[in-house]
Order: sequence, then C-alpha cells, then structure tokens
Amino acid sequence: MIERWALVSGLRGDLETYELIQRDLKKTRGVTALFVLGDLVGPERNCDALLDRLRNPHRGDLKPDCIYGWWEEQLLAERGFRGERKADALRLSQGEDTVSALLNTVNPSHLKWLASLQFGFIELDCALIHGSSSDVGDNLTAETSPLILLDRLTRLNVNRLFTARSTKQFHLELTGGGINSQVKDLNGKREQQQEVPKRSVIGIGAGLNYTLYDIGSDKTHFLTAGSKTNPKGKGFA
Amino acid sequence: MHHAIISCLHANLPAVEAVLNDIDKQGIDTITCLGDLVGYGPQPNEVVELIRKRGIATCQGCWDEDIIDGLNACECSYPSQLAERRGHLAHQWTDDQLTDENKCFLASLPTSLRRDRLLFVHGSPNSQHEYLLPDMDAFAALERVETAGADILFCGHTHQPYVRELRDGSIRVRLQSAEHGNDQGEELTLPMRKIVNAGSVGEPRHGSTNATYVIHNDATDEVEIKEVAYDVARTCQAIIEAGLPKVFAWRLSHGFEFAEQAEDASHVCER
Repeated sequence: MIERWALVSGLRGDLETYELIQRDLKKTRGVTALFVLGDLVGPERNCDALLDRLRNPHRGDLKPDCIYGWWEEQLLAERGFRGERKADALRLSQGEDTVSALLNTVNPSHLKWLASLQFGFIELDCALIHGSSSDVGDNLTAETSPLILLDRLTRLNVNRLFTARSTKQFHLELTGGGINSQVKDLNGKREQQQEVPKRSVIGIGAGLNYTLYDIGSDKTHFLTAGSKTNPKGKGFA
Repeated sequence: MHHAIISCLHANLPAVEAVLNDIDKQGIDTITCLGDLVGYGPQPNEVVELIRKRGIATCQGCWDEDIIDGLNACECSYPSQLAERRGHLAHQWTDDQLTDENKCFLASLPTSLRRDRLLFVHGSPNSQHEYLLPDMDAFAALERVETAGADILFCGHTHQPYVRELRDGSIRVRLQSAEHGNDQGEELTLPMRKIVNAGSVGEPRHGSTNATYVIHNDATDEVEIKEVAYDVARTCQAIIEAGLPKVFAWRLSHGFEFAEQAEDASHVCER
C-alpha cells in the first residue's frame, strides 16, 4: 500500500489555501501525514483563523504536524520569546513597517503555541526543517553549492532533507563523487578516501505549491493545490 | 616568509615563554595567536600581559569569550558532567583573578583574522566552540574552509596539532524541479584546501607533555609542526598552589585529556 507524506509551507495566514490543500489531500490516496514546515504566519493578512484551524482541525482534516519557520522566528523574537534577540533580520530586510504589520496579524493568545513548535522533525531517515540544520533562515535552493547541501545533510546524518525556506520546488540528488585527504600529525601521515553518500535535498514549495513524498518508493510529487494535475504526472523517482 | 601560529595558551606561562623563545631563536617575527589565552592554568594575567606586550595578533578563543560573556556559550564538549563542573570551577577562579584591563583586552579580540587567502580562527569559521577534528567528515571540513573564502584555515581548540590537505574532490548531482523537469546530471569539481591545527601551547593533549605550535611558509605553503619542552612541573606546582582542580596538573603531566566515566551517559545539552 502506498504511504505518502504531504509537505506544506508558506501559508502565511492564508486559510483559503490551506483548505484547498486539505481538499486535495482528501482526494489523494495514501496520505498518512501532513507536515507544515513553518511560515504559518506572515505580515500580509490576519493569521488568527488559519492558526485556529491548525490548532483545532475540523472533522475530516488531515491533522497537521507543524514546525516553526522564519516568519514565526521573527514574530517570536520581537515578542520576547528569543531572549535578547529581536526581529533584526526582518527589520533589516523589509523595514520597521513590516515588523509592525507582522505583530498585528497574530493574536497574542497564539504566541505560546507558536513558541512550543519544534525546529524540525526527524522521520525515518529524513529531516523536515524550514531552513536547514544550520539555521531556520538558511535558504537552500537548487543553485546552492552541493558542498553546502552535503554539509547540511551531514550535520543531521540524514539521507533526505526537506526544506521550505526558498519557497521553490526541487529535488536535488547527490549521485556520486568523492574526496581524498591527507592528515599529517606528529605520528606521521595517513591518507583517507571518502565517497559522496547518495543523499537528497528537496525543496517543498510554498503556499499553493506543495509536495507529496512516497516513503516506500522515495518519489516526490510537486503539486499545486486546486489544479487537476495527478500526482503520477509530476513524480520524480 | 615564515610565520608562527600558536593556540590554546591556557594561562600556562612557562609553556608560553618556552614557545616564544623557540620562535625567536628561529628569527620569526610574525606570530598569530588563535586564542584561549586563559582557562585551566594558574597564570592568566601573566599570559595575557605577555601577549599584549609582544603585540601578537590574536583572535578570541572560547575561554576568552566565556570569561567576557559569562558562560553563555554551549559547553557540550566536556566529556562528562564532572569535567563540566571542573571547567566551571576554573572559569570562576579565572574570572576572579583577571584584572579589568585584561578582561577588556580579551573582549576586544576579533573572532577571526584574515591575511589574504589565510584565515585564522580558534575553533572554526562558524564558532569558537566547534571542533575541527583531524578525521572529521572531509566534505564538512572542506565546506568550512571554502564557505569562509579561504585557501588555508588555521585553527586550534582540539589541542591536537595536524595538517589536513583536502584534494581531488568532486560531487555529482542530478536535479529535478517543478520548473525544469528532469535535468541531466552535472559534476562539481572541488578546490584543494588545507586545514592547519596549531595544537596547544599550554595544555597539550596529543599524548606528549611538550607544547606545540606550527610554522607556515608563505611561499611554499609547507607547514611544520613544532614541539617544545618546557618546565611542566613548575606549572603543575602553580596549579596546586592556586587551589585549582588537581586533575588539571595530572593531565598536563600526561599530555592528554582526563575523562572519567560519564556520570550521566544521557547528559544532553539543553542550550
């Protein structure tokens, strides 16, 4: 029997998009888990209705497992949940008005729940993180150096890293290669050879664009909620 | 031109004096220090003042950072909770001894120094607390050097001197994306890079009691690991007289870390 995960991110308060995705998932065979990889909130719209729905799923909803993303990190920092840190990254990149807008989109009653969300999940041999093992804001794309991608996989010793920060949908496989090294110390010299392990980094998309992952066959399907594309049509082995 | 790199002095004045004498004898006048001037040892003010007096370019080590920031940094690297408690004792003792002027000096140190294609850090370019061990994953090691934009990375922190050359590297990838569909694979050729660990002047842990440092030849990129004998007994005596944990003297006189059975094997850092 097919067993699939649905991976969603970048909803940014958009309940309508979330409902479209839930509707899609109801029609899709084998989806056993829904992971929401952060950016539940954003500055564009009031996020309370979406947060209510994520915390209290409707009957028939696939129950979401959420982690926090970059926008939650900014919100929580500004609201004093990150020690002395404030929303400096947001302030620097988008200015004071956006910081204020973000604060106004989330009712304070949601903050403790948002602060309780984890940085990521390890499921089977997969890491599910908003950014990467390095940072919630780590923006991994298909153009990121494979050396950096391999480092992010190595830090968690996982074979697959699902990331959302870039908002892009991609599946980059490390298929081979190697490196030689020589270590010289006071005891002499020794040579070492290491091969590139077969590992992957998968960008899951954002908003309407989400990803299905078949855990038995290791296939990813990049989908757009509300479109009529069959998962089979966009599957990548 | 030859230049010398020293690290992890750890308030051990006899060791620092012996190493500086050895460097002077070779006519080398460019010295770079990779931090950890204080901690564990009995002469923190004397060592800081000697480095200041000699005008040695220095970056901040994890101990230097912790003395200023008050143990904010993660110390998961202790082999056991007992070792962590001893570390905290040494931290408190050092904090009490150091003059305000010397603390200001430690606070003023940069976390890295760069000379053209050479980068000098205490632990790694990411953190003063990250260990770049000689046998760590070669790709991860290369990533640290490459991401920092260096050809040669000089570090300390492990107290074990080594030179690691990373070469003939490549990574093959295959991309599939929603935008472009299935792409052909491609291969990235990785650059040759080097990591040089200077070991430790004041608390060697390479299996010998000798202080270690390295000499780098700018023209040929050759690196020589140097060992220098010093009066270990004098430092051990000073550790005992200062009231610091006796195991600090024991490990100095053996040249490796003392690690008893972990009190709590499930000890997990919560920071």
